Amino acid sequence: MIVGRSIMRVRSHLQKLRRRLEDYGSQGIVPFLIAFGVFLQGCGLVFDAVELIQPLARDEMSAICSRGQLRVGISVEPFRPFVFPAVFTDEGVRVTGLDVELIREVADALTTYCGGQKPIVPTLHLTRFRDLFIEMNEGHLDLFVSSIGGNVPGARPAGLWYSIPHFHNGGIGAMIQKPEVAERVRAQFQKQAGNPDTLAAIQAGFSGLTVAAQKGRTSSLYAEANLLNVRLLICDSLPASVETKDPHIDVILSQHSILDYVTKHVWPDWHLLTRNDGTPLILTQESFSIVTVEEHRRLQWFLNNLLYRLEESGRLEQMRRRWLEEDYAPTRRATTEGLPFEISKVPEHYDQGQCRFATGR
Amino acid sequence: MKSRVLLFISLSLMFFLAWSSIGWAQPPREEIENTAQHLATLLNVGRLIIERNQTRIDDPRIGDKGFTPEVFERQLLDEFIRQTNIDLKHLPSHLPSLAKELLPVLLQSSKEVVADAQLVINQRGIGYKNFIPATFGSQATRKFSNRSHVKIKQTTLNPRNLKNTPDAYEENVLKRLATQPASNTSITEWVDNETTLRSVTPIYYSHDCLVCHGIPKGILDISGYPREGAKEGDLAGAISIQIPVNSR
Repeated sequence: MIVGRSIMRVRSHLQKLRRRLEDYGSQGIVPFLIAFGVFLQGCGLVFDAVELIQPLARDEMSAICSRGQLRVGISVEPFRPFVFPAVFTDEGVRVTGLDVELIREVADALTTYCGGQKPIVPTLHLTRFRDLFIEMNEGHLDLFVSSIGGNVPGARPAGLWYSIPHFHNGGIGAMIQKPEVAERVRAQFQKQAGNPDTLAAIQAGFSGLTVAAQKGRTSSLYAEANLLNVRLLICDSLPASVETKDPHIDVILSQHSILDYVTKHVWPDWHLLTRNDGTPLILTQESFSIVTVEEHRRLQWFLNNLLYRLEESGRLEQMRRRWLEEDYAPTRRATTEGLPFEISKVPEHYDQGQCRFATGR
Repeated sequence: MKSRVLLFISLSLMFFLAWSSIGWAQPPREEIENTAQHLATLLNVGRLIIERNQTRIDDPRIGDKGFTPEVFERQLLDEFIRQTNIDLKHLPSHLPSLAKELLPVLLQSSKEVVADAQLVINQRGIGYKNFIPATFGSQATRKFSNRSHVKIKQTTLNPRNLKNTPDAYEENVLKRLATQPASNTSITEWVDNETTLRSVTPIYYSHDCLVCHGIPKGILDISGYPREGAKEGDLAGAISIQIPVNSR
């Protein structure tokens, strides 16, 4: 209202000036310029007021700097050791993990980028994995980090951009309970006699078995595309795959690093599927990236440059070793370095979901 | 005559107002000491309710545990009545006014902590969630202390959470308590030229505490901290309360 009146006032003054200019002819140019100069100051105030109500379009980096917050999406489904389940600490509810440490690095670098006057605070939005993409497209997030691979066919939804990898050693692995499953796969490798073909061994070894993968994750994309002779169960989360008793699940597919961690620390009844020589069997390689929207070019370059620098300096490797190889208690790390979070689109009693047979196969 | 009566009434009124305002600003010492005792009991009862529900909170098979702020409050109120004969929903008239003011604040703070923890408590498939008496107490005391002039803190000689490190006074009292037989009596003293009440209420290890704080000493517990090697009945720490005379 006030801005509208100001604009009207400026407009009427300009009209009066124009009329006087016409009256005085070319001689009136000097007083006009003086008067115009005086009015220009007023225009500045009007522009400020307008911008206060409707900010002018700014690039995403300036928006983050002026907001003082980096809005980061993170999956509520735990992908240990990338994201651990939220725990209660002396400081309140916190999440921690490799992804969270990476987010801290990004926020610290943004603080420097923004001039270092005020810290850029990472605001974590904990939501279901499937909703991360929606939240991103709706503009509620600046980026998300959730052990997401961009180099698996079908993994990149339109409109989203994937950074250079921050985690190279990824890949889809498998965990099993019964040793017979491993024997079946190993028998296939032996038949190949020095000419290994993992996909062929897996296809034959898993044939007729019940295989579970997590909905929307690269493991389910892999299974749907390559494992046509299995009974495929699509589960809402990894814990849901482990909890399902009926039907009995023979194989669970997920990211190798996650399976490596959970078979050692969370579900000791499950074992990593290994090759004949005992090394983990990787079904296909995958590297994890940070995701943002396609239009955010400046943020994309910022992320790529930062990740490259972290790789060069050995910091990324240090982070990977810290979470994947060291012996630690996640709860203690959550207390000392975890981040608080906000919850969006998560049911009040989050229950890890369920499993159902894949349709249309 | 009329003017004398008026003068007498005016003076009486002034005296009454002055007296009541002094009384309002500085509650009697006994009232402050009594309030500190009730606050320590209420915090302890809150911790006890969390401990009683620990198995339920850490059950990975159930999603919705039903341990809502309202359920917590009901159990807390019942236990507080059992221990003190005071119904926090209908505070008795004989209760010090400072206690009437502060107990509902601590009750509300405690409820809010349980509300904040709902997402963590109700995760299915996750066992230990670190929502334990100690972390509950840390948050409840912080919320309470931010809302009043009274400071409550959980403290111990070897704190896992460094924010619980004792100050010189607390350290002194804790060392004294550690050498004495277990007692539920608080140590209460007036310090800083009698302007601040300090009250330290000891907490002793119960059987359930020993899962994390017991033997073998030094071995990491489920939350990643080395076990203290404690025995049942050993001094675990204390609830430390500071109330300034001008606490309003």
